[in-house]
Formats: sequence, C-alpha cells, structure tokens
Amino acid sequence: MTRDLVREYKGGIRAVDEVSLSIESGGIFGFLGPNGAGKSTIVRMLTTLLRPTSGTAIVAGYDVVKEPDAVRRRIGVALQDAAIDPYMTGRELLRLQGVLHGLRRAECRGRADVLLGRLDLEDAADRRVATYSGGMRRRLDLALSLVHEPVVLFLDEPTTGLDPVSRVTLWEEVRRLNREHGTTVFLTTQYLEEADQLADRVAIIDGGRIVADGSPAELKAQIGFPMLSVVAADGSTADDVRRVLAGFGEIVPGGREGGASVRFPGGSAAMADAVRALDIAGVRFAEIDLAEPTLDDVFLASTGRHLEGGDDAAA
Amino acid sequence: MSHTALATRQTAALAWRSIITTMRLPQAWFPALFFPLVLMAIFTASFGGAPGNIPGFPPVRGFLDFAVCGAIIQGVLIAGTSAGAAFATDIENGFFDRLVASPTSRVAILTGRLGASIALGVAMALLFIGIAAMFGAQVDGGVMGIIVVVIIAALFAAAVGGLGVYLAIRTGSSEAVQGTFPLFFALLFFSSAFFPLDTMVGWYHTVAAANPITYLVEAMRDEVIGGATVGTALSGIGIALGLACITVGASAVTLRRSLRVGS
Repeated sequence: MTRDLVREYKGGIRAVDEVSLSIESGGIFGFLGPNGAGKSTIVRMLTTLLRPTSGTAIVAGYDVVKEPDAVRRRIGVALQDAAIDPYMTGRELLRLQGVLHGLRRAECRGRADVLLGRLDLEDAADRRVATYSGGMRRRLDLALSLVHEPVVLFLDEPTTGLDPVSRVTLWEEVRRLNREHGTTVFLTTQYLEEADQLADRVAIIDGGRIVADGSPAELKAQIGFPMLSVVAADGSTADDVRRVLAGFGEIVPGGREGGASVRFPGGSAAMADAVRALDIAGVRFAEIDLAEPTLDDVFLASTGRHLEGGDDAAA
Repeated sequence: MSHTALATRQTAALAWRSIITTMRLPQAWFPALFFPLVLMAIFTASFGGAPGNIPGFPPVRGFLDFAVCGAIIQGVLIAGTSAGAAFATDIENGFFDRLVASPTSRVAILTGRLGASIALGVAMALLFIGIAAMFGAQVDGGVMGIIVVVIIAALFAAAVGGLGVYLAIRTGSSEAVQGTFPLFFALLFFSSAFFPLDTMVGWYHTVAAANPITYLVEAMRDEVIGGATVGTALSGIGIALGLACITVGASAVTLRRSLRVGS
C-alpha cells in the first residue's frame, strides 16, 4: 500500500522516514507507537490530507497524490479527537455527510437510520452533539465515516480517552464491520491491548520508522521466551540482581525498574533455579515474576524503551 | 450526477449547515442584531433633530431613514466576523479535515460558507428595513430600492465572508479572527455609515471620504432617503462586487494553497 513514504517538515525533520507497508484488503491492521511516532502523519498522508514529501502511496487501488478524489470516495476517516459539530444533531450530521458523498436524499436518510441503529445512537439521534458523552461521540464519528460504505476505514486512535466499556463497544463494532462487510481497517493506537485484541496484523512505529511488523502472535514469538523480572531489596542493588540473572538468559535493556529482567528460556519450571541462584549469591529481592511476552516486550525489544503513554506500559 | 450538480448540492448542504449552526448559537447572531439596532435607536433618539438643523445634513424625513443602511452594514460586518471565526473553528476542531478527506468539491467548501453569509446578509437587510419601517421609516426607492439595498448587502456579506475565510485559513485560529473585529468596527466608524460625509471635518473627513464603505452605504442610503439614480445604484453594487471579488479571490487562492501543501 505504501512505498518509501517520506514526510519531511521544515528544518529537515523527518516525521515519517521511508515507510514501506503492504496491507492486504479485508484485514484489521494496527499501527502501534507512542505519541509523536509518526502514526498520525502517515494516516494524514494516506487519507489525502497531507502530501508526501516523497514516495508513493496506493490506497484502495488509487494513488493518493495522483487520484485523490478516487481515494476519497473509497475511504472512511475518523481522525483523532472526533471532529463533530456540537450544534448539530447526530442525524443531521449523518445526512450532511451523505450529501457530501453524493448520496441521493432518500439514501442519505436510509443510511443515517441504519447507522444510528447499528451504533446504538437512536435515542440520541435528534439531540445536539454537545450533549453526547465521549463514547457516543466516537460512535457517531465512526458512523459518519461509514455513511458511504467505504472500502478502507482509517481510525486514528479511535479509543484514546475512552472508558474501558466504551472502548470494548467500539472494538466490537470495528470487528463486526470487518467481519460482515469486509471493510479493511487501518487503525492507529498507543494502546498495546487495542492492537493485540483488534488487529490481525500489527506494525510498530517509532521515530518515523517501522521497527516491527507481523501478527501479534508472530511478533510475540519473535521475542521467544517469557520474561523473568526481579526487583532488588534490602541493600541489594539492581546491579546485583542483573549479575545473577545474566547467567539465565539475555538481559532485557530497560527491564524492571529497581531490578532487572531477563529472557528466560527455562519457563516456570526453572524459576526455582533462579531463586536458588539469587539466594546463593546473597542477593535479596522483593518481587519476582514471570510474564509471557506482550506487545510491550516487542516494543521494548525493538526500541529499547517501553511504550510511553500506553495504558499497561508499566505492567 | 454531474460534477457541477454535485458541487451545487454540496454547497447548499454546507450553507444550510452554516446557517443552522449560526442560528443555534446565540453568540453568533445576537451581537449582529443587537448592536446595530441599539446603535440605530440611540442615534435616532439623539440626533432626531439633526436633519434640517445641521448644515451638510442631507434632506431626510427622519434620522431613522438615514441610519438604517449603516445598521445593515454594521450587522453584516459583525455576522461576517462570526462566520470567519466559525470557519476557523472548523479548521481547529477537524471538521475541515473531514471535508477535505471526503470527495466534497473544494469549491463547495468555500461557496458553502459564502452562501450562508449571503443568505444571512439578505435576511438581515430585510429584517432591519422591516424594523425601521415599523418605526416610521420609508424606502423612497420602493421595491426597486429595497432590491438594490439587498443586493449591495448581499455582495458586502460575500466580501466580509471572503475576508473571514481568508483570515481563518491564514491564522487557523477562531480567536485571531474574532480579534480582528475591532479593526473592522473602526473601519466602519471612519466612514459615513452613521453620519453624513458633509458634516465631518479635517482628517476624519479625508479618511471617511477615502473609505469604500462610505460609498457603499451612501448608494444604499440614497435608495432609502431619495436621490438615488441608476448611476448611484450601479456604483454601490460595483464597489461591493469589487470588494467581494478581491476577498473571495484571496480566500480561494489561500484555500488552494493550503490544500496543496497540506496542513
């Protein structure tokens, strides 16, 4: 879908640095990265809002620079911070969006009714958006991007700032769209869980570059082993812990704070060995745990940092 | 549907949206009605004796006849600033992005907003004339006179709307657009919108005589107080049209540039 995409801002800052991606239609693609990683910039280029400095991007079969209108007719876009007019009602906005996409009057009305029903907004349909909750706004935003039945749906951080219940509701709707209508979904997120739960393919982006790309399972498998983390206590230092753990596997850079983490091939069966080794070395510790690889581990392994701002980055 | 037909529908839909959001937001329309009407009332009460007693004051039946066109222009100016600020809000909150990422005609983005300004300008001109008529004002030019007043008001509304869009795109901030308002207010006071040119003295007279708003208001006013000719009507329409061409042209160029570069 994209090749060598570059977006340079004034002063030579490369927000997006030669990103090449190919996304099969019909899937849910998750773009995971911290704030400022270049996710939104890529979305803005793919939705014809921003011209690439160089490189090409083909969306739904059309070039975003050469045939922007053909792209616009086939994509649905819900950008960050749901851009919704607070003084209009949900139904009015949906009908307006229908006209803008060239739907006939009756079609506009029909689509508005269908989408209001599907996204559980019927009761609020004729109330002004100013009275909507955050979750309702996101659902309306999603409905607006679906009026013309797009082939590709772009969701830029669709659940940022939402409570967990609203988040799950939105996930279900996105899954259903993908399953029942075959809509290709391109979503960006800074939440590991969201990428893990929703996407069948994840690319991790950091500093404008893609650092990992694959299905969540594949990415975790690359990490291979679960992670053993130990926190030092009672006069023992993180260095003491690290020295002992180094004998059991590869130390994870930026691992557990106040201690160390190690890729632990032995699994839970060998945990007793690690505890014994710590004991023999006279290292005192407060916590010890073994965790299956998560996407955060993938992020950590690829960038040497935890995913900042992620909801479960500290875990 | 042809490209033009679609663009026309999109324009109408966007204009309609701009109008209803204006009507639903009291702070968007209230000042545009309140200030001109209050000023018109105060001036009429204060200077009711001016016509006939002050040298240089044109012959009118009452001050209200004299004041109504200034009020229309003032209302259009205030409404236009709000419209510009609303366009900037659309840019700030992402509504504009949604339009740009949809197959909405780029022309309709502009004409939708201007169409709303023109419609509100026409409505305001008719409303103000109606209110003045209730208090005894008369339009000397009759129906034709009212039509000329409305045309000039509509073109001026397009001019102010174009300027608002231009400022909105350049600044991208509704507060910045709203902040330019005192400037236009000053421009209005440095014209013959409220008092005749012939009663002004010194540099004030010079500034007002060079202000295009002066001629615009006078062309409208002549239709109300009498003395209008085809020539005065056409010159008023011409000036309003000229202003509209400049500002709408400038806004179209800026819009195109901002869309090409991407924000």
